[in-house]
Amino acid sequence: MTEPEAGRVHRAGEPAAGGQGAVAPEPGGLEMGGPVAIRVDGVSKLYRRMAPGAKLATLKSALMGGTLTRGLDPGRSIAALEGLDFTVRRGEAFGVIGGNGSGKSTLLKLVAGILRPTEGTVEVDGRVAALIELGAGFHPEISGRENVYVNGAVLGLSRREVDRRLASIVAFSGLADFMDEPVKNYSSGMYVRLGFAVAVHTDPDVLLVDEVLAVGDEAFAHKGLRRIEEMLAAGKTLLFVSHSLDLVESLCDRVLWLDRGRQRMVGEPRRVVDAYRQSVAEAEGRAHREEKDEAERARAAAGEAAAGAAAGAGRSERRWGSREAVLEGVRMLVAGEERYHAASGDEMTFEMTVDASRPLDDFVFGVRISTPRGTECWGTNTHLAGHRPRRLAGRATVRAVCASLRLAAGEYFLDVAVHSTEGAPYDYWRHALAFTVTSTDRGIGVYFPEHRWELAGGVEWEES
Amino acid sequence: MLRSARELVRFRGLLATLTGREIKARYRGSVLGFLWSLANPLLQLAVYTFVFGLVFRPHGGALADPYALFLITGLFPWVWVSSSILEGSMSFIASSGLLRKAVFPLELLPTVAVLSNLVHFLLAVPILAAALAVGRGLGYAVSGWPALLLPAIVALQLPMVTGLVLGIAALNVHFKDVRDIVANLMTLLFFLTPILYPLEAIPYRALWWLVRLNPFTPYALGYQQTLFYGVVPDLTLWVQMALVALVAWAGGTWLFERLRETLVEAA
Repeated sequence: MTEPEAGRVHRAGEPAAGGQGAVAPEPGGLEMGGPVAIRVDGVSKLYRRMAPGAKLATLKSALMGGTLTRGLDPGRSIAALEGLDFTVRRGEAFGVIGGNGSGKSTLLKLVAGILRPTEGTVEVDGRVAALIELGAGFHPEISGRENVYVNGAVLGLSRREVDRRLASIVAFSGLADFMDEPVKNYSSGMYVRLGFAVAVHTDPDVLLVDEVLAVGDEAFAHKGLRRIEEMLAAGKTLLFVSHSLDLVESLCDRVLWLDRGRQRMVGEPRRVVDAYRQSVAEAEGRAHREEKDEAERARAAAGEAAAGAAAGAGRSERRWGSREAVLEGVRMLVAGEERYHAASGDEMTFEMTVDASRPLDDFVFGVRISTPRGTECWGTNTHLAGHRPRRLAGRATVRAVCASLRLAAGEYFLDVAVHSTEGAPYDYWRHALAFTVTSTDRGIGVYFPEHRWELAGGVEWEES
Repeated sequence: MLRSARELVRFRGLLATLTGREIKARYRGSVLGFLWSLANPLLQLAVYTFVFGLVFRPHGGALADPYALFLITGLFPWVWVSSSILEGSMSFIASSGLLRKAVFPLELLPTVAVLSNLVHFLLAVPILAAALAVGRGLGYAVSGWPALLLPAIVALQLPMVTGLVLGIAALNVHFKDVRDIVANLMTLLFFLTPILYPLEAIPYRALWWLVRLNPFTPYALGYQQTLFYGVVPDLTLWVQMALVALVAWAGGTWLFERLRETLVEAA
């Protein structure tokens, strides 16, 4: 029954281990004044593999006085987090971004005290409310109202405290008409709303939010966000996990980027979010190139055997054509440099390398940009642009240069093609590459013209 | 073992709330609702009386007359114990949603299973008392003031059951086999506890010892002596009950403590 040395989670009022008094300097981030609300110090978290053999080992080490989570050999464990070091000041909004499985939720659970770190310490000053898996603890058979009491009790409220806040909780959830229904009849959105309402009414000092705004409907998402902003204004600390990068950027003072459990970057939201987007776009570009190489190899292998038969037939779902001319590579250049990530309005160049085994005098090059949902954004070709083909022989490079491509923020696919004037494809390559566009503009659609609003008559804005 | 006890006392408010939730949830949506807490023991009484009072006549019937009353003094507490163990062993898995979102002492969940079943048992006590009173009214020499010692025996069995449930529930998170093993073991132990028959009625020495050494036996004897025979158990029996309680609590909480850190992840 001894407390382990490492992996302690300090609650408010508990002395910190090792007598760390002074605040450590922040590696790579904005310095903010004020006391520390969350300190994550050298934190790693290993999960045991739950393979059948490992279970017996767990039991054995548990009973024989082994170390359980500490000193696990790597074959038996998976590192969810490794070597995390950062502090969050009181009143700060701290965002956490990263791909699926990068350890964001594990980090939140460590800060919430639900999990313990395998190594290092997590210290939290003040009462924590974790908006994680909202409503997960609800009992389906009993009513919404009764669940508010139970949930409140689990989150540390006394019965009287819940009494006092009940009206406000019910109002916030917008479920006044359903409070006496058993929650098994609730929709998943209603679950989340009730869970959110209870959690934000526990009067926390530190609010942990894990992607919960994405679950409710639009109206509730706005309400929840407003509530979070109010709490921030009241000096509460926020740890915010989300895949909505725009939201993270606008809400947070600093952002941590987790990459497969490692702390890749901490700092100013704009910089970190941009770096993350760049990395995602590069990875996608790489995946596309690898896929292409794979297809190349498969084609080379199958090519000899069925060379004649395959000519003109579909080569794959994403690539087809007679192969009289072949697209060998596609790149995207932003301001002259290979990149798959750009800001709306940047100069973007789409470059294809083409190889014609025998000379052609009828050829058209085309590009087409679409969203992942298939919306065509823009497409054109050299024929439409009025260029008449004369000769294509051997290897050539063709570039489509857009001086300013004003796409809305989002993901896009590029199709490229070389075909005859009649439209018979030599090589059509669908989704040849993927790229990301970022924008500060918050509108909808795929195209953002430069624009402004002008007023005349009896209308005016708030001074800004 | 002290840590678990401390946490349970410190979070008694939450323990009460969760237990209340469990009890409310159980009969929610049924027409008879709470009446099932009373109807269940009555129906059990009817079934066992029919089977063992009319179909099979157990040995030593003379030692336990009227048999139905003898039976329920042992059976009602047993139902509490066995349902606590069977339900409690699943408590972490059943509440894994709660485990992953909130911080509270994990020992609460198995304890809730024990306490909510205890409430059902206590609701059956008036039926037990009424049945015994009727028995006395019909001229049988059953019960008496020692029946008032019932709370003491329950108080001794409570840590025993809770300790067992804590250990089993923790183990069950890692090995789902535990549940099946325990379910079968409880059936076996039911027959190895003098509930359907008085201990004295066992004809074979070895079997007698087997039953006597069953850790559940001292409590069964305690219930029967106080409620049915109306005698105060002797000191030896009290000591045995206390010792079993201590060992079960210590062992169960030790096992729970060893596995505590793994529970949230694995459940």
